Amino acid sequence: MPPRPGTIKIGTVHGAVPLARRNLLADPRRLAASAGAVGLAIMLILLLDGLWAGIKANVTSYEDNVDADLYVAQPGTRNFYGAISVLPTSTVDTVRADPDVDWAVPVRGFFSIVELHSKKIATFVVGSVPGGRGGAWDIAKGRAPATDDEVAIGKVMANRHGLSVGETIDIMGRRFTIVGTTSDAFMASFAFMTHAATDALLSAPGTTSFVLVGTDRPDAVRARLAATGLAVLDRDELAENDLALMTRAWGVPMRVMVGVAFVIGSLVIALTAYTAIAERRREYGIVKAIGARGRYLVVLALRQTLMIATAGLAAGGLLFLAGRVLITSVRPQFVVLATSGSITRAIAAALLMGAVAAVIPARRLARLAPATAYRGG
Amino acid sequence: MMTGRVPLARKNLFQDRRRAALSIAGVGFALVLVLVLDGVFAGAMHQVTAYMRTSPADVFVAQKDVRTMHMSQSAMPAETVDAVRNVDGVAWVEGLRYTTAAVEAGDDRLLTYVFGYDTATGRAGPKRIAEGRAPAAGEIVVDTTAAEELGVGIGETVSVLGQSFRISGLSTNGTNMVNTTVFVRTEDFANMRGTSYAYVLAGAEPGVSADELARRVASALPETTVQTRPEFVRQEARIVRDMAADVMAIMSVIGFLIALAVVGLTLFTATLGKLREYGVVKALGAGSGRLAATVAAQAAWSVALGLVLAVVLSVVVGAAIGALTPNVEVLVKPGSVFRTGVGALAIGGIAALLPLRRVVRVDPATAFRRP
Repeated sequence: MPPRPGTIKIGTVHGAVPLARRNLLADPRRLAASAGAVGLAIMLILLLDGLWAGIKANVTSYEDNVDADLYVAQPGTRNFYGAISVLPTSTVDTVRADPDVDWAVPVRGFFSIVELHSKKIATFVVGSVPGGRGGAWDIAKGRAPATDDEVAIGKVMANRHGLSVGETIDIMGRRFTIVGTTSDAFMASFAFMTHAATDALLSAPGTTSFVLVGTDRPDAVRARLAATGLAVLDRDELAENDLALMTRAWGVPMRVMVGVAFVIGSLVIALTAYTAIAERRREYGIVKAIGARGRYLVVLALRQTLMIATAGLAAGGLLFLAGRVLITSVRPQFVVLATSGSITRAIAAALLMGAVAAVIPARRLARLAPATAYRGG
Repeated sequence: MMTGRVPLARKNLFQDRRRAALSIAGVGFALVLVLVLDGVFAGAMHQVTAYMRTSPADVFVAQKDVRTMHMSQSAMPAETVDAVRNVDGVAWVEGLRYTTAAVEAGDDRLLTYVFGYDTATGRAGPKRIAEGRAPAAGEIVVDTTAAEELGVGIGETVSVLGQSFRISGLSTNGTNMVNTTVFVRTEDFANMRGTSYAYVLAGAEPGVSADELARRVASALPETTVQTRPEFVRQEARIVRDMAADVMAIMSVIGFLIALAVVGLTLFTATLGKLREYGVVKALGAGSGRLAATVAAQAAWSVALGLVLAVVLSVVVGAAIGALTPNVEVLVKPGSVFRTGVGALAIGGIAALLPLRRVVRVDPATAFRRP
């Protein structure tokens, strides 16, 4: 029976010697350092993937929770975040007049930069009618704002800047009393207030941004409202467009970071396997002298790099779990998710790193002269 | 008697050139993580401040507590322009209308700042119109990069805020990672969004400094925020810096940890493989300090060459990113290289600790043992 690739059967001695494993395990500290470095590269890939998944899950948190079937906006509006829709509040009556509309409420939304502790904090201000839909859906402490000088802010911003219910915060030149803490938006904090408060902030009475609509017949309502020239979008469209907005900003840098992490992982694996082989070139010379062919040596190198990649993958998984706990506890505004897709991609990346990294050690082995076996050192 | 010194650190490190190359490349790529991300954010800061940096205004007036443009709303009554004009020391005043919207051409769309400006003076308009002319009624100036992305040119039509505009000109340097900029006549903007102004730009009379003018305007209009141009630029850049600070910190820590592991791995291997040589050097009379200096020099060589490689790679990667996506600018600044270099030297020092311990403890008798 032929020996398994990466092992070698010597002369008449029976049994295969797991040369690749022994070679690597000869210096456990080096293997551990290598696995750690590869693990960090894998962790980076997992973290970036996890952050991306977190962005996807978080960017639609408003649409996911206000339970509206349709969003009516100014013609040309495609996003909930970013582009600012302005509609006359009379649009609410126009929408309510549709026979299939169960409910319709005005909501205003816009980004604002708040300065706290000498830091600029991005907030997404949402103005809604007190007691109506479209406002804060998840009050952690306190209550929803009821008057025009009250606000409910995101928990992350409140915790990070030591803001409690009863304290005040200045937004666009007006002072608001914090009456509750609630959910956060992606990389920003929601600031829920009354619609009238946003009218005053923007000096824009009689206007709103969106009309949220509840209906059992969204297609029919949409067709009728769109015929009047209004922009009408459903939750999925808004989510897709908002995600595309984020992708534009972060897509390229994220892909570059993943690419660099992949190269680093491959280099570290190659460095470790190459060093292990170079240090034991005499043993490999013996293997070659007793008849091992090129294919065996290539497989030998590949086994070593794949073993390092596997160790790196395991280390990367553990580092990712630890890193995620650390990041989300220190900086809770980051949502890092582990999905089956991200885990599959990390495994594929590790295996590919191992395969790519085998090239240099394999070339070293292929060029090794059998006479090395008879040299000293 | 032999004279001269043997550069033991360098020879030890570079004896196997492939291993040295792999090691330096590993350190280099780890530092690329730090430099490129830093470059992306430096580029973003440069891009988002382009409008105010190139503005002729000495002072910008905004709604109270509004100190920025990006992710910001500002609304002031039309009378604010005249109120600023009446302040002593003001040479000229310009109202700027502004909002965030999408610019669309067919199925393609980009997020954009929409500026409504007085085309007669052009002071609040684009710094440079590379092609075509300023907008007339129903016309718009689009940034060149955005026009390419949308596949439109002069004479073609785009839609903004639900209305169609004919492109009269193409401006430059107005597109960043997140959005682009378009310019319409202030009257067209007012027809769509009302007569209020977002910002008021003011120029100082000769002999009046920007700081003095800002003080006078702030005193005359206490319900506004008044900033000089450099301050407005600084505040705008801080949005990017403050929002990016956490991401940068995480990426830098990971990049430096990887570099630490790679340098540590290299030094550990290079030192342990040469313990006998170190024993010989010690037997010849070298003290522990000399051996420690040798290991430290190896660390310094690894880090220094890795940093040089990282800078070159970062510039190349930055250029590639810029070519692939013109809206992303990567600026590798000397300050960033310096900070990364200091960090890299620190991790080189840490990485040298374990091999140092082994070398310092090496027994000179090792030199006489069989390998």
